Amino acid sequence: MISCTEFIPAYSELFKFLHAKGGKDAVVKFWESLSDEFLTNLRDLAASKGLAGCFEYWSHTLTEEAADFRMTLDEENGKFEIEMRHCPSMGMLNETKHIEAYEHYCEHCDVLYRRALEPLGFKYNIDLSTCKEARCNLTIEKKPQTWQR
Amino acid sequence: MVDSKKELRVLDCKATDHEYLHQDFHGALCYGIKYLDDHFGPEATAEYLRAVGRSYYAPLSQLLKNEGLTALEKHWNEIFTKEGGKFTLEYKDGALVLTVHECPAIAHLKKIHQLVTPRYCETTVVVNETICGEAGHACFTQYEPGEGRCVQKFWKRKE
Repeated sequence: MISCTEFIPAYSELFKFLHAKGGKDAVVKFWESLSDEFLTNLRDLAASKGLAGCFEYWSHTLTEEAADFRMTLDEENGKFEIEMRHCPSMGMLNETKHIEAYEHYCEHCDVLYRRALEPLGFKYNIDLSTCKEARCNLTIEKKPQTWQR
Repeated sequence: MVDSKKELRVLDCKATDHEYLHQDFHGALCYGIKYLDDHFGPEATAEYLRAVGRSYYAPLSQLLKNEGLTALEKHWNEIFTKEGGKFTLEYKDGALVLTVHECPAIAHLKKIHQLVTPRYCETTVVVNETICGEAGHACFTQYEPGEGRCVQKFWKRKE
């Protein structure tokens, strides 16, 4: 069994394997498929509860991943934000010296979540400019009256 | 810490606040195996798993080479305990036998309805073979797909 505690390096190796097979396009196609088929829990929560569903989804995943973060849900202004102070995934890849992280590793967080949320009428943005240092900032905004139940 | 106000909710956590154990990751790996099988074929899936065995698990292979089967015993004990698996480890005729009565990965995949391929257990078969092969050892895995039970046997190859 590949333990869930060993998943992130195996995930990064999968991206590298796909890249070697078909370039970055092959990796992005996998991310899109994963978003469509695997992220149904986020999609369902966001569709039924709006930004509160996003808060619920990441409350679960980020605490189980022991991330260092601050997450804010501002219902009045229609904004949800994650300030990731130390991403456990990139942090682990940085600390695992005997393998090299897939060079575009962090971009999966852009493709997966954008693809799940934007069709529901949310505006999704992620700043990955410092992601190699395991830090990033994610914002999701509700477009007034557009998100669908 | 959750600070709930009328319109503002804040969750502020440090890494040390929680244990690192996100079993939903098994679902993403299971999906990855299915995706590779469907788009590139089973041999490509095996090629990927061998790459993981050679790269990420290289330190474990090295430990197995240097310390023998106790290195694997320690590894399996750590990860199956951490994930809440039901298992036994014993030595029989010089071989290490890991009997998994309830695989925590399969149990979780069934719970979240994400056991999307019966070939998920090939991760165990191929990665184990690679770790052992790199260290002058051999192994055998007996399982029924999706049952969440298996017997894994490890031994040192004769010189």
